[in-house]
Amino acid sequence: MKHSALDADEALRSTSVGTSTDVDARVSHLVEVWGDTVDIRHLAWSVVLGVGISLGAFFSANYFLALFVHDAAMTRAYAMLLGLAGCLIAGAVCAKLFKPKRVVVDQASDTARREEVLDQLAAEAGGLGFVADLPLPVATEMKELGLYDVFLKHEQRIEASKRALDEGRVFIETKTSKESS
Amino acid sequence: MDALVHQILVAVSMGLIGAVVFAGIGLISGTDETTTLAPLTLLVALLGVPPAGVFTFFMAGAVAKHMTHAIPTALLGIPGDTLAAPLLQQATMLRNLGVPHIALRKMISGGIIAAFVAVPLAVLFAVLLAPFGPSISKAAPWVFLAAAVAIAYFSSGRWASVLLLVPFVLVIVGLQALTGKYGVKLSVSYFLGIAIGPLIADLFSILSPADRAVMRRDKVKTFSLAPDVKSWSGYFPNPLKVLDRQQRNWTIATAAVSSATFVFSPVAMTVVMGELVGSRVKHAYHRLTTVIAARNGVTEATYIAETLIPLIAFGLPLSPVAAGPAAPLFNAPPRFFVDTATGQMNNLHTLMTSWEFLGYGLLSVVLAALIAYPFSMNYAHRAASFVARRLSHEAIIATFAGLIVVISVWEGQLLGFLVIVTIGLLGGLLSRRFGFNTGVQFMGYYAAVLSVPALTKLIT
Repeated sequence: MKHSALDADEALRSTSVGTSTDVDARVSHLVEVWGDTVDIRHLAWSVVLGVGISLGAFFSANYFLALFVHDAAMTRAYAMLLGLAGCLIAGAVCAKLFKPKRVVVDQASDTARREEVLDQLAAEAGGLGFVADLPLPVATEMKELGLYDVFLKHEQRIEASKRALDEGRVFIETKTSKESS
Repeated sequence: MDALVHQILVAVSMGLIGAVVFAGIGLISGTDETTTLAPLTLLVALLGVPPAGVFTFFMAGAVAKHMTHAIPTALLGIPGDTLAAPLLQQATMLRNLGVPHIALRKMISGGIIAAFVAVPLAVLFAVLLAPFGPSISKAAPWVFLAAAVAIAYFSSGRWASVLLLVPFVLVIVGLQALTGKYGVKLSVSYFLGIAIGPLIADLFSILSPADRAVMRRDKVKTFSLAPDVKSWSGYFPNPLKVLDRQQRNWTIATAAVSSATFVFSPVAMTVVMGELVGSRVKHAYHRLTTVIAARNGVTEATYIAETLIPLIAFGLPLSPVAAGPAAPLFNAPPRFFVDTATGQMNNLHTLMTSWEFLGYGLLSVVLAALIAYPFSMNYAHRAASFVARRLSHEAIIATFAGLIVVISVWEGQLLGFLVIVTIGLLGGLLSRRFGFNTGVQFMGYYAAVLSVPALTKLIT
């Protein structure tokens, strides 16, 4: 198990491409907020810009619309529309100014990861199951994806190891029964 | 006749706008339904769009968002929104098996099928429940109180959440008394504050040196993006053929069951139904694909039922979804309002008939499917890559910081802003510390508004 985990790590490293690198410089300013990493200085600016731009849009809309539109309810609603547009503009400005703090790796799965998932699935309550029990459309789908043989092999391996275990037990049992008689 | 044609045209165009906008928002992980659907629906209602248009906008938006939220979930391994979280496990396993596109296709097809099942069934259940509507409306204060306690108990905080309702409701009552003194009556600010609470709490934490130390990271997060695999001919695959017979049946069955339940949280329903289906499928691969299809179907069906049933049968926001993201369909003062003291009500419940709900509900699902399905099938990889590589978290925070300020100032000037920050901070901390989640907090808000006056009348 430990071996396969190592394999997966190595495979991951070797398949890593397209990594964005301009990250190291601001390492010390990184914090995790609301589920993702941000640069704390950029965060401060984005809050200021978000509040400033959207409130600015809202108040100026409120002011100018009141000069031309005399229905108070409509003025209020349109001011809100423009305020929300201001939020989107603030978002766009910050997207332009601040680059994401993530590394995105284009990565296909590899055999090591597959094996890991298969082990996980086999350990689950329902177990891996047998491809022989599958309804025809599912078996066809798996064959098209190239997963049929992968599952079949893993299932055979589990069966083989189970059988080996059973035989071992039978061997020990016969041995002990002979000794006791 | 002309009026009907006009109404349908308005509904179609509002539905299309909703589907396009929310198909886009669904791609951005971490965007909660309440923070996006609620303010935009409120805006549409206040701009004076006819009722059918408001309804179609909301429904098409919700259904479209729940299709595209499958994209970051399947390709990046991060949940598209709160409701996508229970799908993550299966999605990650399928991704590691090298078939992320299968996860995506099964999820979205399950969602579409469930949506078509859920709309007519939810309308049917609502019509069956409607005779009890008047008595339930009369008992509303107690029904909300019971619902709040039940939903609190089923949250991860269990008894802590039930007891936390007391201080939480007390704070809301206190804030209302304060704003009332200055003639300010707030509602949107409360539920927006609740929904965005975790962000507000995090922003406070970051200002405190003690908390900041815990939040520091020495390196950025790594996301691995699964490759693009197109394995069908033509523009997009037939959603009915993506699922096999057993998967279709499970999706329809679980969607039907979850359409009938409307007081439970959609996340809880999704988890429970997924476990139920999983225990019935023998082979592991088939189990993964069936569970993921059924689960996304359940999120869609519960969401639709939780909106439609309270809307049609009661006109009161009696479910976690109706109390949160769908709240503007019930309450968008001055246009839509519910006054429990006088029993007066003017919202989609009184403005639309059951047949209209059915017709426009199905129309919304069709529009959402027409927009979001081909989009997800053809551009999933490019869209996920764009969002992950180009859209910084700072930009998303800037947008939401603007959103809270604009909505709260719009509703109650400075007082609105103070209330949204207070309730957001409190809610965010309680949710982080005790598992007193946003669904419970929404119900707490309604308990404060509806049950507390009835309780005080009882005591004094």
